[in-house]
Parts: sequence; structure tokens; C-alpha cells
Amino acid sequence: MVVEKKRTINRLKSMYPLRAKVNETYLKSIEAIQAGKPAVWGMLNFYYGDPILKAMDIEVVYPENYGAIAAATGVAQQYLDRADAEGFPTHLCGYSLTTLGYASRMMKELNGEIPPEAPFGGMPKPLFLMSSAAICDARYKWFQALGRYMDVPVWPLEAPLPGIKEFSIEDYYDEMVKLGVKHLRDFVTFVEDMVGKKMDWDRLDKTTGLMIEVNRVWHEVNELRKARPCPMHSRDFWSAMPAALFLAGDLEDSLRLYQDMYKEVKDRVGNHVSAIPDEKYRLVFAELPPWHSLAFFDKLAERGWNFVIESVGYHPPIPLDLSRVSDPLERITKFSLQFLVGYYEDARKQNVLGGTTAYPYLKYAREWKCDGALLHPLITCRSASTHLPYVADMLIEKMNVPSLSIEGDIVDLRLFNPEDALAKAEPFEETMEHYKKMRRQEGFDW
Amino acid sequence: MYFTGVDIGSTMTKVVLIDESDNLLSAIKGPTGPEHRQLANEVMRQSLEQAGLQIDDISYIVATGYGRLNVPFADSQITELSCHARGVSSLFPNVRTAIDIGGQDAKCMKINNGKLTSFVMNDKCAAGTGRFLEVTAATLGVRLEDMGDIALKATKKIQVSSLCTIFAQQEVVTLLSRGENLENIVAGLHDALANRIAALARRLGIEPDLVLTGGVAKNTGMVKAMKESLGCELLVPEEPLLTGALGAAILAKETYMKAVVVGEDLPTKSRRLEKATFFS
Amino acid sequence: MLDKNKGLSKAREIYLNRLQRVKELKAAGKTIIGYPCIYVPVEMLTALDLIPYQTCGDIKEPVTEADRALPSSFCPVMRNCLDCALKNKNDFLDGMVTIHSCDPQEKTARVWESYTSYPYFHFIDMPITVRPEALEYFKSQLNDFKKTLETFTGRKLSKDKLESAIKFHNRQRALVRELYELTKPSPPCISGTEIIQVIEALTSLPVSEGNDLLTETINEVKSRTGGLEKKPARLLIWSSILDDTDIMQVFEAKANVVMSESCGVIRAYRGEVKFTANPLEGLADYYLNEITCARTFRQATIGETRKDYTRDLQSRFGYLKGIVEEWKINGAIMLLVRYCDPFAFEMPSLKDYFDSIGVPSTYIEYDYTVGALAPLRTRIEAFLETINQ
Repeated sequence: MVVEKKRTINRLKSMYPLRAKVNETYLKSIEAIQAGKPAVWGMLNFYYGDPILKAMDIEVVYPENYGAIAAATGVAQQYLDRADAEGFPTHLCGYSLTTLGYASRMMKELNGEIPPEAPFGGMPKPLFLMSSAAICDARYKWFQALGRYMDVPVWPLEAPLPGIKEFSIEDYYDEMVKLGVKHLRDFVTFVEDMVGKKMDWDRLDKTTGLMIEVNRVWHEVNELRKARPCPMHSRDFWSAMPAALFLAGDLEDSLRLYQDMYKEVKDRVGNHVSAIPDEKYRLVFAELPPWHSLAFFDKLAERGWNFVIESVGYHPPIPLDLSRVSDPLERITKFSLQFLVGYYEDARKQNVLGGTTAYPYLKYAREWKCDGALLHPLITCRSASTHLPYVADMLIEKMNVPSLSIEGDIVDLRLFNPEDALAKAEPFEETMEHYKKMRRQEGFDW
Repeated sequence: MYFTGVDIGSTMTKVVLIDESDNLLSAIKGPTGPEHRQLANEVMRQSLEQAGLQIDDISYIVATGYGRLNVPFADSQITELSCHARGVSSLFPNVRTAIDIGGQDAKCMKINNGKLTSFVMNDKCAAGTGRFLEVTAATLGVRLEDMGDIALKATKKIQVSSLCTIFAQQEVVTLLSRGENLENIVAGLHDALANRIAALARRLGIEPDLVLTGGVAKNTGMVKAMKESLGCELLVPEEPLLTGALGAAILAKETYMKAVVVGEDLPTKSRRLEKATFFS
Repeated sequence: MLDKNKGLSKAREIYLNRLQRVKELKAAGKTIIGYPCIYVPVEMLTALDLIPYQTCGDIKEPVTEADRALPSSFCPVMRNCLDCALKNKNDFLDGMVTIHSCDPQEKTARVWESYTSYPYFHFIDMPITVRPEALEYFKSQLNDFKKTLETFTGRKLSKDKLESAIKFHNRQRALVRELYELTKPSPPCISGTEIIQVIEALTSLPVSEGNDLLTETINEVKSRTGGLEKKPARLLIWSSILDDTDIMQVFEAKANVVMSESCGVIRAYRGEVKFTANPLEGLADYYLNEITCARTFRQATIGETRKDYTRDLQSRFGYLKGIVEEWKINGAIMLLVRYCDPFAFEMPSLKDYFDSIGVPSTYIEYDYTVGALAPLRTRIEAFLETINQ
């Protein structure tokens, strides 16, 4: 069988330097750590803890991302087996089990030295652990469990999660901000103690400003994808997002690169350039992509499937005006909360209450004019999967937009079967056609 | 004096009869089937016949296994974990870790001086039991009893790592269609099962001597794969299916003897092999 | 001869039909508010003359309806609870109060709200740490809960009413602790099964009626002769939830279960709400700090910059030492509900702690269905065989 290496998706030129940034930053980080710079294990914290660490010039290693790398390079299994042997139940998040197994190996067998089999330089023993309550329980419990292998302090960042209706109670938002600011102030003190130097508040102010601006531009880039045909595919989104989501590398540099991307996408819109040769279907993807099998999307692109929007968990917050807020900690807190609450008002008005990350998909379907949704539930990642049945239910009920569900996992990559998924594509196309007609009949404009 | 151990497993029922010096007087195996209450009587009858004894000659009877609560003539019930531990120790006095792989479950036991000290079981997931090989053998059109020999003929390592027996079937079909040869695929399946069981065992900590029992221990391909996954030597008894019943018989003897020495009254059941009903 | 309507027999009767009293009360014009988690401050409901009713699952009920809203790899207890709700078993409720204690609670709360239409629905958010600002935030959440309750009932939640309710609920907690004193003797005077029946009965009764039931039960148990059979093993069961007598009976077939550190048993009753100038402060403090559920992040020193694993274990599990000593416990079962993340992450550390205080322990998983019973039996019996040497 001859397999042609086809590049059906018309990748943005401006995506490449943004994608390269992630690798560069990672390698620079490894170098710095090897030269003695303190390293912290962190996790996705939605713009809350990262700016603090960045302003203090601390290298951050992300075990969640490392878990994906370990899975993709086939190294995860031994760490999973180790975690199992240590007594951690196997239903737990694959990334956490990978890290726990890794920590056990590093500390119990190698006395703190990075395991030689660990790909991409591994993860060094950290100075402290910064976890986050956002998104799921596993994330803060897992770093606590690491204390079994490393006598390393852990700071779990609080992340309030309001009810959609309750959010509109008077003073509710202010209380959330109060919590966020005080908590962050204490976190700064903690970090200062750990690294032995004081926070440069001007630097934090600048970092915060850049973080907000970078994400604002990035938000605008994604707004341009509403155009028909869509100029930018989800693959470009996933490749370009780390700089904004994780504040990878130099922020001024990132800002320039996102501005370049904005220009390129705007041009494409002006010239009606599509991300794929023939846009027959516009799709939204939820939630975490199969990182190791992204070529799968090229196959779908050949069938005319353009992925125009995706993964609300990775999207920048809806911009809000924080220019009159002088305290950087308050700006950080409000910006971080905005990631979720930016949608609340709308969700409440539409009475879509079944999940804080579910309503955005309704907005996506409507504004990005989607014909279908591709859902990817992951067996060991409940937080990225639990809302999906509700999303499917809501999309079809309110928007006549059908969904196709393809299962996978974050570390057992064999669970995702691309052939099986492609086999389901054809019948789903018929479903999408059917619902297109239904929408037209009911007066929807796509 | 004579003692009997009855092991009602999910696939096979085994009865072992010993005397006070642990001499084996009879050992009977039969498929359990759904009517295991009735079957226990039948297998017991065969055991007595083989030993040339009457049921009244048996001083104490212990039942074990999944169906242990359904042996009306048994004097007491002890879990198969403790019974395997005892049985395996009588055959291999230096055993510290025992692994029993049955058709529908897998058990790992740590043993100290013949006694069970800790254990871990898998009876939820078929992919970590003999069933995994049964199902994949059927997919390949191979007889289950031939799987081991076929595995030994492999020339290349293939990774079969689906989390689930159902997915493994799909994977096997894909591998065949890609032109992989049967021996290598079968060996890959054995490796996958061995790895899963080794992971289970590592939760307890692996200490030699290690003994493997259960139906799957008769599969030479599995013994080899287990040795590789565990990274150490494995001892396998001649009759790997009987260790549970043997252990039950020995524990029956020990329970009885202890009561005799202490002068304790030991409650026993009526020595009548009646047809078991749902209400007995 | 036991009076059919008192003490243990009453508890047994209510356990088998938990809806009976609330249905009577509803017919008499009372307002019934459901809650799925013990972190909900029920004092605030009692204070406004609302009847709190803890919604529970039923292991005998096969889950069918919940599939359209929740995946199968999800806390089976909450799936079961939601399933019962979607099958209209909770239609007598006038409202629900849900809380962000753990992911399944939070996610099920959303689904509950969108798939049912109770007149009143409120979701309380919770922080994960016990830091001062977290406590402040939780207090503000309770304040918001107060606001919506007042709007719903049209009544003010005054300090007096709240303090009176706190008194009643504190009394209940004290009575449950008194009941548990009766498992200290050898053999214990009351079984784990009977205790579950009593607690499950309590959570379906108004607080004062529950207190009466407890008083009757305590007197009855104290004065009864020829109690339970003494068994060599005195077990502690540590679990997220253990509220079903079929499961408890599997343990009690061969052991005395003298303490069940779980929801459905003692967890909701261990401490006491302190009286503070603003009662919401005492409530926030009690619920965040005193409830020993794995969802709350505790550390030896808040915000510690130096870490010591032994001290960490002590701060998280140290309260168990006193229990082990006082109840003369010689075996511990860590009973995990499948897919429960907060408890699952605790397992190896908890085992380390039990090892450090010399208590043999084993980890058993169950999935809140009747299918769990047979494998449970084998594991429990095998564990008991290892400790009854």
C-alpha cells in the first residue's frame, strides 16, 4: 500500500514560528535547569499562577504536557505500571499515574536523578509543586500524592467555580475576586520564600499586561475563523495556542507572532482562502485532541471537513476591559475568572445550565456556523469528557447540530482507532446533510 | 484419618482427598457448569470412589472457591486465596509469591510460612485473566490448548496493548490484515496478558520463590511470557489446577488436628450427599 | 417485645422506605428540600422550617436513565442518584441544594438542574483548601445561599432561628457520637448494619424527630441483652460512601465493624458547629474544616515551605489514631468507590499511615451495584484470614 504524504490542510505560515516556540522554550528551559536554575512543576492554571512564576523568572515544567509526550513516545507504560505497583487505582487520570510512576522511579530508584529513558530531557526534581483546583479534583490531589516520593512543598491554587444562575447574585463576583487576590498575594509570598528573592512588581505588571494583550489578539484571530470558508483549521489552533495558554517563551515575541497571525488570517478572509481545498462541512471539536494522531484530521479534510473551532478549555477568555484596574493581582484574578464567567450571562439567558464548559459550544455552533460536532471522550480523563453527552444533547436540541463521538484516552493511545473513526465519517456526513435541511426549515441561517 | 478439600472455581471443580500424613488419595476435576451445587456431590462421590472410602470416613471438609457457599456437606469455608497459599507451600516450601491465573480471575498472594499475608485480585477485567486468551484464540480460529505452543514459535516481538479484550480482538484482526504472522501475534497476546498480571503482582512486591498455578499455568507460552515479564524464575506444579483443593484439604486437616489437640468441639455437617436444593 | 414504631425497629422500617415520613410531611403542607452531599449546611434549611432530605442512591437499582447525561466511567453513586431523580423518584421535592464538594457532585448538580424543574435550586461553591481567604469565600457562599433561601421562602433567616437550628443539629451529632460509644465494648452492643439503618433514617427525618429516634435507640441498645456475636476482627471501614446494609452485612458476616468513617455513617457527625457572632462563620468553619472527606486539601502547616511526609500524613490522617486506640481496632478496610478520584489518590498514603500505626489494612474497590457483593466477600474474607492468625 503506498501512502502519499498529502498536506490537505492549508497550514498558516505564521503558525510555524509559534509552534517552534514551544520546543525552543522547552529546550531552553532544560538548559537553564541543568545550569542550576530552579524548576517548578506546574499545571494548566488558566492565567492565574503562571504570570507570577514568569515574573519571577522561574522555569516551569508541566507534567500534564509531559504525560502526553510520554504517551506519544511509548514511554508511559512503564510509569503507569509503576504507579499501579505503588497502589494507585487504575481508573485515575493517565497523566497523574504517569507522573507518579515517574516520580517513584526518579526518587526511589535513581536518588533524584532524571531517568535515562525519559524523553526530551525528562523532568527534574522540582523546587516546589504548583497545582490548581481548576477543571478537576485529580489535579490538586495528584500533586499532593507526589509528596510520597518527594519532600517538596505543594501549593494548590484555588479556582472558584460558580453556579451559572448563582453568579448573578449581588456581590457574588466581588467575593470571588476577593478570594483570588488574597490567595495570589499569599502565593507570591510563598514563592518569594521558596526562591529567596522578592517579586519585581513592575515586572509583574508588565507581564500581566502582555499576557492579557497576547490573549486578546489571539481571541481576535479566532473570531476571524467565523468567515466562510474558514481560513484557519483547528490543527493550527492547537499548534499555536501554547504561547498564549502557558505563556511559553518571551511574551513580547509571542505578541508579535500572534499579530502576524492576525494579519495572515485577515488576508485569507479578504481573499476567501480556505484552510482546506473544498469546505463542505464546518465542524467543532470537543475536547482534547488526539495529539499523537493529528494526521487523522488531514484525512477528514480530504472529505471536505473543515474544523473551524474547538476545545473551549484551551480558548482565550472573552476579552474584558481591565485598564482601570491598577493592582496586577486583581487584573490576573479577573482575567483568569473571565475564562469561565465570560459566558455566564449568555448561558443564564439561554437557560443552558448543564455544565460550565458546555454553553460555549452552543455559541460556537451558532457563530462559527457549524454543521456538526466531533466529540472525543477520553476514558481516564473524566473532566474533559463528562460534559460531552450534554453538549451533544444541547446542540441537537437547540441548534439541530448533530454530533459524532469517537473514544480515546490520554495515555492509552491504542484506544483511539482512526480507521474506525474514518469509517464513521461517511454516514455522519449524511446526518449532517439531513440536519442542514432541518435547520433551513426552522429558519437558522446556516 | 482423612480430609477433603473442595474447590469450586468458576470454570472447574476440584476435589482432593488426603490422609493425616498429607498423602494424596484422590484428586478429581470436572467442569463446574451452572449447577455447581449438584456437581459438588457428584465430584465428591467420584473422589470417594477413587480413594475407596465412604463419606463418613472423612473427618473434616473445607470448601473453597467462588462456589464455596454452595457445598452443603462442607464443614467450613475458607477463601481460595488462603487455600492456594497453603497448597502451594506444601508443594514448594520456600514459596513467597504465588500467582494463580484462572479462566475468569487472576490472584496474587504473598506467603510466609504457608500462610497468606497479603493478596491482590483481578476478577473484573477479562483482559487480565485466561479469558483473554480464550477470546482471542476464538478470533484467530485457534484451539485454546494450542495457543502456548504457537506462541513459542514466534520470531518477532509484537506489541498488543489494548486495555480491553474486545479491543484486542479488533487489534488482532488488524494485525492479521497487515500481514503479521500468527505465531508472532499469539506471542504478543501472551506478552500482553503476562504484563498485566505482572503489574498486578508488583502491587504486592515480587519475592522468590515464585509459583504459578491455575489453568493458564499449563500453557508453556504463558509460563515463558510470565518469566520475562516478572524477570525471574517461575515454579509450576505438576497439577497446577489442584493447589486450591489441596490447600483446602490441608487446612481441613490442620483445623481438625488443632481442635483435637486443644480438646475443642468442632461443628461438622451431616455426612450425607443429598441433592442440593435452593433451600438447603 | 419491641414496639414496632420505636428505636431500632423504627429505623429498620424507615431504612426500607425512606420516603414515608417526608411524604406525610409534604401532604401536611411542609416544604421538602433535597441535598446529595453532607457538605450542605442543613441547619440553614431547618432554620427556615424546611425539611432537609438527603437524596441517596440504591444499589439494587440498575442505572438506565442517567446514561443520556453522564458517561459510564463516572462516580457510580452520583450516577445512581441522578438515575433515581430522572426516574421521578424524587418528584416530591420542592427543591435541591447542591455543592461543589467534588467533581461528580459539581457535574451532576449541573445536569440535575437542567433536566429537572424544581421550584428551588441552589448550587454552593466550595474552595479546596482551608486557608483563611478560602474560609471567607465559603462564608460568602453560605451568605448567598441564605439570600436565595429567603427569596424562596419569603422569610428572613434570622440569627436566632439559625442558632436554634444549629443547636438541634449539634445535638444530633452528639447523639450519633454517643451511639458510636456503644461499639466500643467487645462484642459491640450495636452492629454496623443497625447503625446504617439509623443514620439513613435520620437523613430522611426532620432533625428533632431524628434526635428522638436516636435517644430511643441509644436507650434500647444500652438495655438489651444477648447482643452481637464477638468476632476476632474489629474493623474500621474508611470509605467515601457506605450507606447500604447489604454491603455492610458482607463485612459483618465474619467481623465486627466498630467504626465506619464514611458518608452514610459517622462522617457527618464527628464534630460540632461552634457558636459565633455571625452563625454563618461557625457553619463555614465546621463544614470546611471538620468534615474528613478526601476532597479537602490539608497540610501540616498551611502554605508550608518545608515538607515532611510523616508530618503530612499525621495532619491528614492523625485523627484515625485515636479512633483505632479507643475502639481497639485491629484491621482497616479502605473501601473505594470506583472512579472516586479524591479517595483514590489517598490510598497509598493512607496505607502508609496505617502501617505506621501498626494496623493491617487492605484496599477493596466496589462499584455500588449488587454485582459488587460476591467479589467483595472473597476479598474481605481473605483479608480477615490474613489478620486472624
